[in-house]
Parts: sequence; structure tokens; C-alpha cells
Amino acid sequence: MDNEVYSFALKSALDEIRNICPDITNTFIFKENGEIIIGDEATPEKTMAQVVDAFDGVFEKANAIGNIECITVDGNNGKVNISCLNDLYFVTVTSKKADINYVNTVTHVLIPTILRLLEKICPAPLNNTSILPETKPETKLDLQAETEEPEPLTETKEEDKIEEPEEKETEIKSEPLLPEPQTHQLMVENLGGLLAPSDTVRIDSVILSQWEDQYEGRKIEEIEIETFDGKSTRCKVKPIKNAKYEGKGTIQMPEKIQETLEIKKGELVRAKPVIE
Amino acid sequence: MVKKKKDSQEITTLTEPIATEEAISTNDLRTNLEEIKTWDGVIGYILRNTTSAAIDLNDPTKIIDYAILSSSALEASEELSKLFNLGKIKNIIVEGKETKVLSLTVGENRISIFLEKQADYEKILKKLQ
Repeated sequence: MDNEVYSFALKSALDEIRNICPDITNTFIFKENGEIIIGDEATPEKTMAQVVDAFDGVFEKANAIGNIECITVDGNNGKVNISCLNDLYFVTVTSKKADINYVNTVTHVLIPTILRLLEKICPAPLNNTSILPETKPETKLDLQAETEEPEPLTETKEEDKIEEPEEKETEIKSEPLLPEPQTHQLMVENLGGLLAPSDTVRIDSVILSQWEDQYEGRKIEEIEIETFDGKSTRCKVKPIKNAKYEGKGTIQMPEKIQETLEIKKGELVRAKPVIE
Repeated sequence: MVKKKKDSQEITTLTEPIATEEAISTNDLRTNLEEIKTWDGVIGYILRNTTSAAIDLNDPTKIIDYAILSSSALEASEELSKLFNLGKIKNIIVEGKETKVLSLTVGENRISIFLEKQADYEKILKKLQ
């Protein structure tokens, strides 16, 4: 629900900015680890991912200039501006006739204000994960089927409360309400070596713990990976061993899985736990 | 024997003007950059083309980081140009909390100038374009 509110508020703000300044052709927001937070209607997710990927090298060496505050790319037909707002990067693409002062006034006031407001209302979604509208997970129907049951269950629960309290407990336990899987956007890194199994990916132990917490300590052994082109696969998952990749929003993936998904190192994928 | 000599002269005559033009262009740029380097707030520059590179930075320990950063920025700008149809890239400015980098391409030369946060890059752009 929080994600929905965030998504709606930010997406509306981005779309509204484009209404106010028609010379803004594209806007989106991403995190330093490459995770895309939200984009306007005009910008495909794949384009956002390509932009983030293009600046990977710049962000890697940004320490040398005291981290990125702003990047401006000035072309003959338009401009791209990337501004840092707290831990987020706000991208605006403008046509060549755009009044940059006006654009900056609107974007640099409106977006920070909305982000501050959202942070005050509920800080969790921006800290945790992407709030891009998720593609419908395959397990959703099953979940809905499960969530349809509880209504009569709650009624009987009230009735049986005095007479058979033990039975009620077992009924609830047998049909738990599983929360919707939390999706993470991760950047693909190669996973090789003689001992590396070809059916297992590695992701941050923090993400695994988050999922395990979400599902009350259930061990996450499989995840579903989806590309921005809509290709998806299931595979086993283990925590990242190499400290170099920890906490960077990456997913280490064997070549075989990369081939299956038709992706390569540096591209973004969505990952969510498989709960059965 | 005489014929061989003639051939070699012809080749020399053909290649010389092109080499000279390139040299002049790059040399001019380098002269301009050396002048810019003396301006207030300018930390240094990197000038690269297909055959040579010139680097002048106040802090030599940062050469590698600055070189990777500037080439990444130029490559990223080319990618952005393709994605958003920006046309020819005039320049790219990467601003950090301490330093900013102005990168641009002049002919076949890729230039990156490193500036202190408050330095004015407009004046530099005028000088180089």
C-alpha cells in the first residue's frame, strides 16, 4: 500500500511536471545503486535502465570529485540533466528550445518538496525497494484465491470464538495470508568459476534476510528473475560471497542463466522470491 | 634507384599537409589549454586523441580516477545522445561536491577540464569552441 501511494504521488508529480513544462520530454528517478524508483509515462523502463547503465562508470569514479551533485549533457537537439536529491538522482530530458531556468525552477522545487513530504509520511519504500509498477507476479492468482477465503473464515472465527478456540487457531494456520513478494531491481554481474553451479544466482544476504523476514523466517531457496523485455526464469539463490558485490544491488548470475534471459553484465533485472 | 627516390618524395608530399593540419589543430588546443590551466579555479586538463594524450593536473595521484571519470562521462553522453536523440553533444558537465569536470570533443580531440566548484566554465567553453 505504501508503495502504491509513493508510486502514485511521484508518478503524478513527474507527469505534472511534463504538463507544466512541455519541453521536458522525459523524467525519471533512480538510486545510486542503479535501482530505478519511478519514471513518467513517456519513458520506457528499458531506456531508464540504459541511462543508468551508461553512467555506471561515472558513478564508480565519482569519489574523485566528491560524489555527483549534478550532470548536464548538452546536445544540439536537447539537454539531459541529472540532479542529486538526497540519495536519489532525478533525470530530466529537455528539448533544445526549453527555458532551462524555468525547468530548473519547477523541477528543483517540486520534486524535492514531494520527496520530503513522502519521506515524512512514510520513509520505508524509498529506503527499501523500487516502486516502479510491478508486472503481475505469476503467484498473484494463487494469492488472491487464498485471500478470498479469509472473509468467511473471520465470520466463523467470531462465532466459534467461545466454543472452539483451538480449532480456530488451526484453521488460520492452515491458510496463512502471504504478503505480495517484494521485488528488487538488481544489476547483473558475471558469476563464474569451476565450482559455481550453473542453476544458482547469488544476491545480497540483506535482500534474502528481508524476504525471509517478510515470510516469517521461511528460507528463500528459489527466486524468479524477470528482464525488462519480459523474459523470466526461476533459479536457485544463495547469498553473495564476494564482498566486492555486497550492498551494491547486484545479482551474480552464471552465463547459462544470462543466455536464457538474453541479458548480459550491467543490465537490470527484477528479482522476487518464490514462495510455495 | 632514381625512381625509388621519386616515389618516396611523392609520398612525403602527399602526407605532409594532413599531418601538419592535425598537428596545428591539436597544438592550438594544447596552447589554449595551457593558458586555461593558469586561470583561477582550473585544476588541470586531459587532452586525448587517437594518437596521443596530454595530461596536466595539479594532483598527479588523481590522474587515473580523473581519466576514467572523464572518458566514462563522454561515453555516457554518446549513449544518451542515441537514446534521446540529442544530436551532436556540445559538452558534458559533471559536478561533484568538491570539483567539476567539463568534457567536450573538438574534432578528434577529447578534452576534459577539471575545475574547482566555483569556477566559471562558460569562459572556458568560449575559449575552446
